[in-house]
Amino acid sequence: MTLTRPEAQSLVKSALKAATLKEISVRVSSSREGNLRFAGNAPTTSGEVDRVDISVTATRDRASATVSGTARDAAGVAELVRRAEALAALAPVDPEHVPPLGPQQYADDPRRPIAADPAAAKLDAQARTDLVAQVLKVARDGKLIAAGLLEHGSSSVAFGTSAGLFAYHQATEVSLTTTCRTPDGSGSGWAGTVSHRAADLDAAGAARRAADKAEMSRGGGAALEPGAYTVVLEAQAVADLLEFVLGSLSARAADEGRSFFSRPGGNAIGEPLFNPQVSLRSDPMDPTHPSIPFAGDGQPLPKMTWIDHGKLLALATTRWWAQKQGRKPVPTPRSLFMAGGTASVAELVRGVERGVLVTRLWYNRMLDPRQILVTGLTRDGTFKIEGGKLSGPVKNMRYNESPAAMLGQVLALGRPERVVAGNDGVVVVPPMVVDGFHFASVSDAV
Amino acid sequence: MSASRRSFLAASGLASAGLLWPGRDAWAGPAPARMPAPTSAPASADAGARMLGQSRLLRDEPLARAAVEAAQKAGASYADARLVQWQRESLRVRDDHVSDVGLREEYGIGVRVLADGAWGFAATSRLDSRAVTDAAKAAVAMARRSALLMPEPVVLAATDVVRGAWVSPVQVDPFAVTMAEKVDLLLAAARAALAVSGVHHVDASLLSAREEKLLITSEGSRVHQIFFRVMPGLTATAIDRRRGRFASRDHEVAPMLAGFEHVTAADLTGQAPQIAEDALRKLHAAPVVPGKKQVILAPSNLWLTIHESIGHSTELDRALGWEANLAGTSFLTPDKRGKLRIGSERVQLVADRTQPGGLATTAWDDEAVAGQRWELVKDGIFVGWQTTRDLAAKIGDARSRGCLYAENHAAVAFPRMPNVSLQPGPEDHTTEDLINATDDGILISGRGSWSIDQQRYNFQFGGQFFWEIKKGRLTRPLRDVAYQANTVEFWSSCDMLGGPGTYRLGGTFGDGKGEPGQSNSVSHGCPPARFTVHVLNTGSGT
Repeated sequence: MTLTRPEAQSLVKSALKAATLKEISVRVSSSREGNLRFAGNAPTTSGEVDRVDISVTATRDRASATVSGTARDAAGVAELVRRAEALAALAPVDPEHVPPLGPQQYADDPRRPIAADPAAAKLDAQARTDLVAQVLKVARDGKLIAAGLLEHGSSSVAFGTSAGLFAYHQATEVSLTTTCRTPDGSGSGWAGTVSHRAADLDAAGAARRAADKAEMSRGGGAALEPGAYTVVLEAQAVADLLEFVLGSLSARAADEGRSFFSRPGGNAIGEPLFNPQVSLRSDPMDPTHPSIPFAGDGQPLPKMTWIDHGKLLALATTRWWAQKQGRKPVPTPRSLFMAGGTASVAELVRGVERGVLVTRLWYNRMLDPRQILVTGLTRDGTFKIEGGKLSGPVKNMRYNESPAAMLGQVLALGRPERVVAGNDGVVVVPPMVVDGFHFASVSDAV
Repeated sequence: MSASRRSFLAASGLASAGLLWPGRDAWAGPAPARMPAPTSAPASADAGARMLGQSRLLRDEPLARAAVEAAQKAGASYADARLVQWQRESLRVRDDHVSDVGLREEYGIGVRVLADGAWGFAATSRLDSRAVTDAAKAAVAMARRSALLMPEPVVLAATDVVRGAWVSPVQVDPFAVTMAEKVDLLLAAARAALAVSGVHHVDASLLSAREEKLLITSEGSRVHQIFFRVMPGLTATAIDRRRGRFASRDHEVAPMLAGFEHVTAADLTGQAPQIAEDALRKLHAAPVVPGKKQVILAPSNLWLTIHESIGHSTELDRALGWEANLAGTSFLTPDKRGKLRIGSERVQLVADRTQPGGLATTAWDDEAVAGQRWELVKDGIFVGWQTTRDLAAKIGDARSRGCLYAENHAAVAFPRMPNVSLQPGPEDHTTEDLINATDDGILISGRGSWSIDQQRYNFQFGGQFFWEIKKGRLTRPLRDVAYQANTVEFWSSCDMLGGPGTYRLGGTFGDGKGEPGQSNSVSHGCPPARFTVHVLNTGSGT
């Protein structure tokens, strides 16, 4: 069971009451999660986990320490406070310390938790096997072999400070990802679906998309020569690359000369850096894809535009860095929406004379943060495009490319969709046609 | 003597103290394979026995037994319960101040059951008899649902019933060292690096972890273990604002299954000026000219290449498609065992859960199978898999290799990597011998970026520091170097290995796998070795 607002608030209060130091902040996270894994067209492991995690940060004379544990009652919380205070007494002064925030206004209405879906909170072992059975049926009917994961969870997080701040948020999430492979291992296709609402999870649809790609890639394909290609990146592949640009949106790293956004004496805010079609915003109160309305330190997460028609408007700025630079703090977002058009992936493909369709990318790693140069490989559905049509599978390829440069070479954008993100944030991005994408070597992996 | 050498000797010195399998020196080269595996580990030394005796987990042992009984009563044919407690302390220093002091604790119970031939698992941090009984029943209920979708039941390979306790060797409990002492050590190291002109930022860190678990199985096994792991770190960053460039250099000290003595032996402060100088040198290094080249990979770089190309490809669950949706499958398949050549004849790769200092070393795994040492690649031929009880049964092996592990109480145990190490060559070569024998190449040390495909063919790795080699001599530092190769071509090109004296361990706390994702700690030992690869320039050319 996840903790309700009164339950979480009572734990926060007991921590504040147990404190002897003036500065304390407390986070109470709870979750109930279920999952079912499958492979070889059968379930492999499944699990149900309930967790409560309480984290206490105590500060004494600008010296802080954080202690967290799986306590569940007032006595356990008091013990965490005692240990955090003892550790804070030993910790040296942090010159970058900022005091905890006082009461804040948040965009959401606590009586209407829009990110928590009651149906998603009720999912159980039977619901899991029913959904996975839909995927297995598609795979068996297509003489394919499916592997994947169905996950669901409800969670709550509460944050309170000795300065009077209290924030609480409840959420649910359901996701299913699956990879279908041909029995001879020559073809593979992947698809995923995610939502905070149980009703929006399209398990059979995802299975069919994965199965279609596996079927289309059956027999493997020819190796393309390494070089620059026009690519159609599906939304998942766009998100895989965009993650590196988002990770670089830090004012401090830019101001200190460590980032793509560094400029002599400052940063690149205000510069038209990308193609004018590129706009990026965050909004915790998006009605279709709601997310948490506060940051880890309790700052309200505003509706925010980061990139407007190619122009960089903002970089995330911690409270300390903002104070030091005389600017306004800008908390790191928990939701990202990239603007797009209305075209489907198939329609984007129709507009490409010669190119490559990429389903998703794998093992992506930063090579050079100054250029945001990244390497990684295509995976689970890579096809040649000829005359506006998918003309067959090609071998997977390693790319060495800058996602920042990519945002400068956008030819067209499709309809945005929510993708399965690596963290628990909301990421909604469009499929994208990009010119001059660099493939460096061929991989035999299927 | 290098820092890693010194610290490794310090860690392996524990072995001679009699705490862990006396007589085997991890750095001294291959020892006879321990097969068949021992069914019990040697008794822990007094300090270990005291820790075990004072354990909080003993109070909750009846709950673990109750969970197993409840699962059996609900119809489980097999059940195990794991009480797991983690303590992690992190300390980070940036330049002249402490940026993070944190202590994380987690404690709870996980119940894994086999019912109607399918797995079920439930976990809770609520430790009372009702909560653990409910977890056991929930696990059985979900197993039964899964069983309806399974064409064939899970079968477990046989194992011995064991009862035992073990504490990883530790001279100084890292949690007994005061915060003040740790902070002083890191601040002193940061100061020593910052004293080098041109160095702008220094990050120093120390992670200490204590993992304790008590496993009860329905077959009558009971094992209680405590593990200490430490990871010191130091990174110096130099910035050239005029040219808009920066370069970072990490200390190459490895994380280790050891106590605070490993941190002391790493001598961060003594090594800091060298790390700082290296960062400056990197800033002014010459860009590499790409092309096909010989590279000598130092152990601080090669360990990760072993991990990615051999460690993951010899996981049998991957080969069977169990990880197809995320981690991937493998270029190795069950029919290739004993047949496929994947390296030159000098390539010997060994899996070892008994290796002193190895982060994946354990007396028993999470289904009470004893830690073992076995061959994965012998004379360049793929000969062995990493297995668990259900995996062993799948390919007709009589026994498991003992690779089951869960990252904490809340995660289901599944196949995880043991320490996988490249054995040193018989010729007793030093690193200098390898350099002297190389006409045109690059010496690569430290961990850079890394990326490999989902079947473990095509990889591209960076490094921390690159020395150009011309006519048998180190000539100048290079930058923007990455090497790309295919796993089989890479290991087939291995034509020179350092000797036993050059063998070092590298490792990580963060070996990721599974869905939901789990983390594993694992080490890889190796000598420096020479390969032929495609060298890339990853810079912007400025």
